[in-house]
Amino acid sequence: MNKLFSVSDVNLSYGDKHVLKDINIDLYKNKVTAFIGPSGCGKSTFLRCFNRMNDLIDSCKIDGTILMENKDIYNKKYDVVDLRTNVGMVFQKPNPFMMSIYENVAYGLKCSGIKDKKVLKQRVINALKQAALYDEVSTRLNDSALSLSGGQQQRLCIARAIAMKPEVILMDEPTSALDPIATAKIEELIEELKKDFTIIIVTHSMHQASRISDYTAFFLNGEIVEYDITKNIFQNPKDIRCENYITGRFG
Amino acid sequence: MRKIKDYILNAITYIASGISVLILGVLLVYLLVNGVKSINLKMFSDDYWAKNYLVEVDSDSRNFDSKYNGDDYYIKKYDIAIKDDDKEIVVTYIGENSQFNELKSLTVGDSLGMITPFDVGYKIESIEYLDSNGVISIGGVLLKHNAIEVAQILNENHVNSIYYQSTSGGIKASIINTLILIFVSLLIATPISICSAIYLNEYNSKNKFNQLLSVSIETLAGVPSIIYGLVGITVLFPVTQLFGATTTSVLLGALTMAVILLPTMIKATQVALAQVDQGLKDASLSLGATKVQTINKVVLPGAMNGILSGLLLCVSKVIGESAALVYTMGTFISDTPSLTNQGTSLSLMIYSIMSNDNPNFELACAISLIILVIVLVLNISVKLINYKFNKLGQR
Repeated sequence: MNKLFSVSDVNLSYGDKHVLKDINIDLYKNKVTAFIGPSGCGKSTFLRCFNRMNDLIDSCKIDGTILMENKDIYNKKYDVVDLRTNVGMVFQKPNPFMMSIYENVAYGLKCSGIKDKKVLKQRVINALKQAALYDEVSTRLNDSALSLSGGQQQRLCIARAIAMKPEVILMDEPTSALDPIATAKIEELIEELKKDFTIIIVTHSMHQASRISDYTAFFLNGEIVEYDITKNIFQNPKDIRCENYITGRFG
Repeated sequence: MRKIKDYILNAITYIASGISVLILGVLLVYLLVNGVKSINLKMFSDDYWAKNYLVEVDSDSRNFDSKYNGDDYYIKKYDIAIKDDDKEIVVTYIGENSQFNELKSLTVGDSLGMITPFDVGYKIESIEYLDSNGVISIGGVLLKHNAIEVAQILNENHVNSIYYQSTSGGIKASIINTLILIFVSLLIATPISICSAIYLNEYNSKNKFNQLLSVSIETLAGVPSIIYGLVGITVLFPVTQLFGATTTSVLLGALTMAVILLPTMIKATQVALAQVDQGLKDASLSLGATKVQTINKVVLPGAMNGILSGLLLCVSKVIGESAALVYTMGTFISDTPSLTNQGTSLSLMIYSIMSNDNPNFELACAISLIILVIVLVLNISVKLINYKFNKLGQR
């Protein structure tokens, strides 16, 4: 199995608040890794470390190293724009731009400097197909993205991310704002996507984690309590806190 | 007991809001009563100052197919009609082929022999003509002739020259000056404000210097505009000299106005930028867009409605400003608008005509009414823009 990310001794704080404490974890290629844990345990913050979205917050301070394919992504020489092209992200709330469906998917490509219209169109269509959205929108690519339903908007956001052909897709509770049917579609999609991409997903739903992920990490108060193959975590957790959480005693 | 207390408190709020509505209503009624009679379409195209013309008229008889059917004194020879109006003789009709459409100036100078303007509403002052004995005589208002006598003279005698006066009291130049003022001041203020608002909102790491900057901008917004006028005439006047201005000028007014608009515009843009969803910015950055691309493609378009309504508010601010412009544009009503000359905006024009020896109250009310209508339209547009964009966002 190939290691994609190797995280060692990561500490992160917002001002005086110590959010992540001595995180050490290895994440594997073409697998789905789920981060679970109660609210405020730092799992979303940790996810945002992988594409350096925490850089945007002034008071945020981060120590330790995160290696992606043996290169430190927090090295000053590492271009953050390259990193984000390589590590896509899907957010909790569907957030399509106020543009047409086509323009939404083409946005990242255009920003990266692709101008050839044929290439653009091909990649947009491929991305929409990969995100299982193309059949629903093929006749109205020029309509506003805001006219789509919530679930469709979220799949559009996934299409927008995979149009960049990243290696990794980070998903921050991608289904928490969706109804069960839309959620099921996204989960199905994740199953498909893991052939081509490495997926790291933060989720509140333990059922979702057990359904879709290969590995699961359990976070509590900024620490990783347990990290293992998903089956092991859910069937015989080693740590009592993890067991309590999974069986619903707290969280 | 509690009920009575509630009742009294409610009554106070009703009365208070009623008073403000009442004030607005009284203001409107007052302006309407005094000003509406003076408003006519012609005032938008007329000069403020009356001009006098001495002209000759072609006396050859022509055949007219006249359509005139009014009750004023019709002059068959020239196909025009005149009437008495408060000791003046006013033209009320000019035929399509009338000789009066081709009056030639007799004034010595560059304009000699040029065709002069002649229009309905102009006043005929005096006429020099050959009477039945072949003697040169003079007729007109100066000799207390009335319209019927003037019509007779024009019909029956050979006319040597006519002296007449154009209409006055128009606001054309002030409207053009106001437009120039709006255009130039916004042209300068808008890019500067948008750029500084972007800096303050998007690049501003919250250090002491930037906080000081924000506070000073807010303070600037509270400085009375007359102080800007004083500063404008001392600091900005040398700048306008570079463009050839020798006195206070419309350009100086516009520059001063741009400075006055800066804090308002920056604040409006900042509010608009802050309203852009952080999620959209995150999405853009997460797709590998640079900060500049994110600002250009996501933040600015998202803030456009707020920026636009800020712009419109600035326009009404320019229209309403007078104190700062008294010093920087002067109060002389000029009929030839130009950037480097003195001139008045609509508000300044009110100030100017009311500080004359004999204030023209009706005209001032008419201009006020026009200003009120423009401001009202602008405010409604702001509301409409916000409404439209909000609807778009909710879809």
